[in-house]
Amino acid sequence: MSRRLAFNIGLVILGAYIFTALLSPLVIPYSPSGLEGRPLDCPSESHLLGTNDMGQDIFSRLVYGTRATLIIGLLGALLSVSVSTVVGMVSSYYGGLIDEFITRSVDVLMTVPGFPLLLVLTMFFTPSIFVISGLMGILGGTQGIRIIRSQILSLVEANFVYGAKAMGAGDRYIMARYILPNVLSLVTVKFVFAAQRYMLMGVGLGFLGLGDPSVVDWGQMINRAYYNGGFALGLWWWLAPPGLAVTLLSIALALLGYGLEGEINPRLNRSVPR
Amino acid sequence: MKAEYMVRRILYSFVAFMISITLTFALLHLMPGDYLHSILPYLAEKNPMASQLFQEQFGLNKPIAEQYFLYVGNVLQGNWGYSFQYGLPVLTVISEKLRWTLVILFPSTIISILIGMTVGAYSGWRNGSKTDVSVLNFMVFVGAVPSYWWAILLILIFGFYLNLFPLGGYVSIDALEDGVSIPDVLYHAILPTIALAVSSIPGTYYLMRNSMLQTLGEDYILTARSKGLSEMEILRHHALKNSMLPMVTVIALELAHMIMGSVFIETIFSWPGLGLLTFDALRVRDLPLLQGVFLIDTLMIILANIVADLSYPLIDPRVVVGESV
Repeated sequence: MSRRLAFNIGLVILGAYIFTALLSPLVIPYSPSGLEGRPLDCPSESHLLGTNDMGQDIFSRLVYGTRATLIIGLLGALLSVSVSTVVGMVSSYYGGLIDEFITRSVDVLMTVPGFPLLLVLTMFFTPSIFVISGLMGILGGTQGIRIIRSQILSLVEANFVYGAKAMGAGDRYIMARYILPNVLSLVTVKFVFAAQRYMLMGVGLGFLGLGDPSVVDWGQMINRAYYNGGFALGLWWWLAPPGLAVTLLSIALALLGYGLEGEINPRLNRSVPR
Repeated sequence: MKAEYMVRRILYSFVAFMISITLTFALLHLMPGDYLHSILPYLAEKNPMASQLFQEQFGLNKPIAEQYFLYVGNVLQGNWGYSFQYGLPVLTVISEKLRWTLVILFPSTIISILIGMTVGAYSGWRNGSKTDVSVLNFMVFVGAVPSYWWAILLILIFGFYLNLFPLGGYVSIDALEDGVSIPDVLYHAILPTIALAVSSIPGTYYLMRNSMLQTLGEDYILTARSKGLSEMEILRHHALKNSMLPMVTVIALELAHMIMGSVFIETIFSWPGLGLLTFDALRVRDLPLLQGVFLIDTLMIILANIVADLSYPLIDPRVVVGESV
């Protein structure tokens, strides 16, 4: 599969997910959290994927759960990429003491393990999906600072930046108009991969029982199916749909990122001459 | 130069560890409704002496700054508090569970390194060929499937439907009569080991492939080729060895990170290691245990970093640690 094709497939699948999330209230036949039938019903015409142990319609929950999962992934990624871009840019643009301070802090912070810290912190704060994605974004943001900084380091010395300075442009104007556009493609790739990671992490947190109890998300669906009998009784229509939904979305984002990577770094496509 | 670099490295590690300690202190002591205040009145009612001892050891009747220094001192001396759930010192619980994690972590790391590096090296060497592209696509797919889903799939297929492997746990029920036997434990370890390996192979593969691509662009490969060496000889003596060098750093760090990845896999397989311990601590809100797990993870990453740093110049004499840092 070429990178171009991977990009297109990823984009189509992601688009379908976003579409589903937007239209979910119109599509679902039952309320996602209401008790709509007999518990543990098999798939039938009235309940496409049966019902869970509480008598909630699994299909409605699956469709509605797209929202929370997408929000966690995209919001977390947006935050983390913004943090690493802004901090990385400030660090390399101003240089000197500011740069020294930020680089040293990143060196130290990289050693603090992010995932266990995330687990500990989500336990303390009320686990709403916004808090979870906020925590993931800020904790994960430190990882990208180095890469963005090293990319911008060469731009700061570029002639067009000196030119802009000579014409009296302000620092913030130069960063926004001359430096940011040059790293935007790298930032986009980072964003896609971050969205994939945080989406998986958000579902994983739900699976570990740390999700937002007030929303329907796939992680909590898997958790429920796994621990309340779906697995032990072999009710695949309860356990498999949320798992497959996450997996497909993750594959779509991976393909999208993989395609974009080829776009910004054409050297990846070139085969070594021999 | 070298000594200075090492000193700085150790200083950073120490600062990172202090930040972790400070974070856990803040979480344990400053949060409203913290665990000490919710459990102490109860303890005082049952056993006033124990409550008194507890207060003195953790300095609960002292100002917050003094409590902090006492806490830091306690942690540095290996006194990490007591787990509610187990009623044992946190460090004792953790060191017992850590052994179980290593039982599945070591084999899976070795599998991941062997497969990831072999396939990655081949893929990079045959860069751009049909095999390379299809392997790369396959790895993108494998890496995109979440580790918890691999684990559930493995149990469903090999445990539930084919009935080849146990559904979870670490010994079979016979152990109640016959005692724990090593083959039985290893038999239970097979599926979790595979799950852990599968979820980490793509990472190793990407890095090895990239490293191979980088090496192939070097001048000495061109020289080897212009000398008229056979392709096999270039691969064996020039490309492979050099592209394997950066992997050392990666492997040390990967080992440390896989301990966290094992949270999902151990939970799903009910494997009694550090990951399941983390899950249980989260479930019953066993804060002292949770802070212990967090601190031990920090220590592991610090250790892995230092080992990687020290071993690199031993393998690659061109690298002098501390130069151009």
